[in-house]
Amino acid sequence: MKDHAQYAETLALYAMGALDNPQELADLQAHLGTCGECRRELDALRADTALLALSATGPQPPLRARQRLLSAIAAEPRLQQREQQEKRFVLGRLRSSWLSFVPIAVALVLAILSMLLLKENLRIRDRNAQMAAELSEAQNKSAHAQEVLDMLNNPKTVRMTLVAMPNHPQPQIKTFYAPEKGHLVILANNLEPLPEGKVYQLWLRPPKGDPMPAGTFWPDSTGNRMMMHALETPGIEAQSFAVTVEPAGGSLTPTMPIVLAPTR
Amino acid sequence: MRVAGTQAPNHKQEAALIARLRGGDESSMADLYDRYSGVVYGVALRVLGDTAAAEDLLQEIFLQLWRNPQAFDADRGRLAPWLAVIARNRAIDVLRKRPLEANIDELPISTGVDLEDDTSQRLAVEKVRGALGQLPQEQRKVLEMAFFAGMTHTEIANKTGEPLGTIKTRIRSGLLALRKAFA
Repeated sequence: MKDHAQYAETLALYAMGALDNPQELADLQAHLGTCGECRRELDALRADTALLALSATGPQPPLRARQRLLSAIAAEPRLQQREQQEKRFVLGRLRSSWLSFVPIAVALVLAILSMLLLKENLRIRDRNAQMAAELSEAQNKSAHAQEVLDMLNNPKTVRMTLVAMPNHPQPQIKTFYAPEKGHLVILANNLEPLPEGKVYQLWLRPPKGDPMPAGTFWPDSTGNRMMMHALETPGIEAQSFAVTVEPAGGSLTPTMPIVLAPTR
Repeated sequence: MRVAGTQAPNHKQEAALIARLRGGDESSMADLYDRYSGVVYGVALRVLGDTAAAEDLLQEIFLQLWRNPQAFDADRGRLAPWLAVIARNRAIDVLRKRPLEANIDELPISTGVDLEDDTSQRLAVEKVRGALGQLPQEQRKVLEMAFFAGMTHTEIANKTGEPLGTIKTRIRSGLLALRKAFA
């Protein structure tokens, strides 16, 4: 009850909106949140202010004010009425619907057909693209095969056979080099497997100057490999070829020892 | 009811009037205006002291009631005192140049006073005026400054030179005197 007495006077101010002390206002609002008795007293005080307001009745508004209000109301449909009108509009569309539904149904059917045709079109396009890719791959393979064949049959092709150095197993690499194009094919057999991170690297030995990198390769599980390589610069004469073991990715200069070298 | 020129319906009539209003019956607004425009306009004019401004506020309050009749809860009070307090609060907003809110307040106003018919309401107004007349002039003045001028208790204390505690006490005891007149 001490609380209620404490808040009694501020409640009256609060009911009139006349309480302007922020701290008192906050305290009172917090108290009202938990005190039903003070909330009831606040309602009673508001009713008291209503009595005070009624004391001001007497003067009458000008006659034009009534017509002004009614005209404004007539010009402003109520929200409820607007909702009803909107609802009727929707219902009206549905009721008049058997005729209006036909174009909608036709549109739906056309839309479905269009989607099916589009899907089929996309499927055909995918198939065409796949076939084109396969054809291109086949053409590439054929071109490579023809190129290899031409190279092998070309009398200008420089033929060399690399054999194992003494005390080495019988690995062998045949090189086919077309200097005018800078193209190179090797056929490797019986190569020893390489440690991880290592590759074989072929070196072209020109008549003058340092050996030039001529491609890297690694044997398959049976020790064999065929490789095609194109030198960056065609027209280089090859005096011989040699093979070393290099780190994966190859080297710019050979790492000794040479593991395969020409027999001639 | 007749409150200084206005007619108010009894509780059942008022409930029917509210039901028509909520049903979108435009004629209900004409009836409501005829019965309560005097209350709203009287309070607005008392606060604003300007007939044009009071008329504008009258228009605004009734339009908002038309747009949102749910704002008035018939279970928690009567329309006449509710409109009177709404008119006072809105008029203070105008006076203090505060923006008017889009919707009217949903304040519960239940006077506990017999307002069932014209006679009882006319008697109620006379009783209020009589009770106010019984208050000391300083107390009545403080009540009017707070309610009709919208002044805060600090502003009233500054203007009258009275202590804040005195202003608080006068306002509360003035309101309780009105309540007591109807006890």
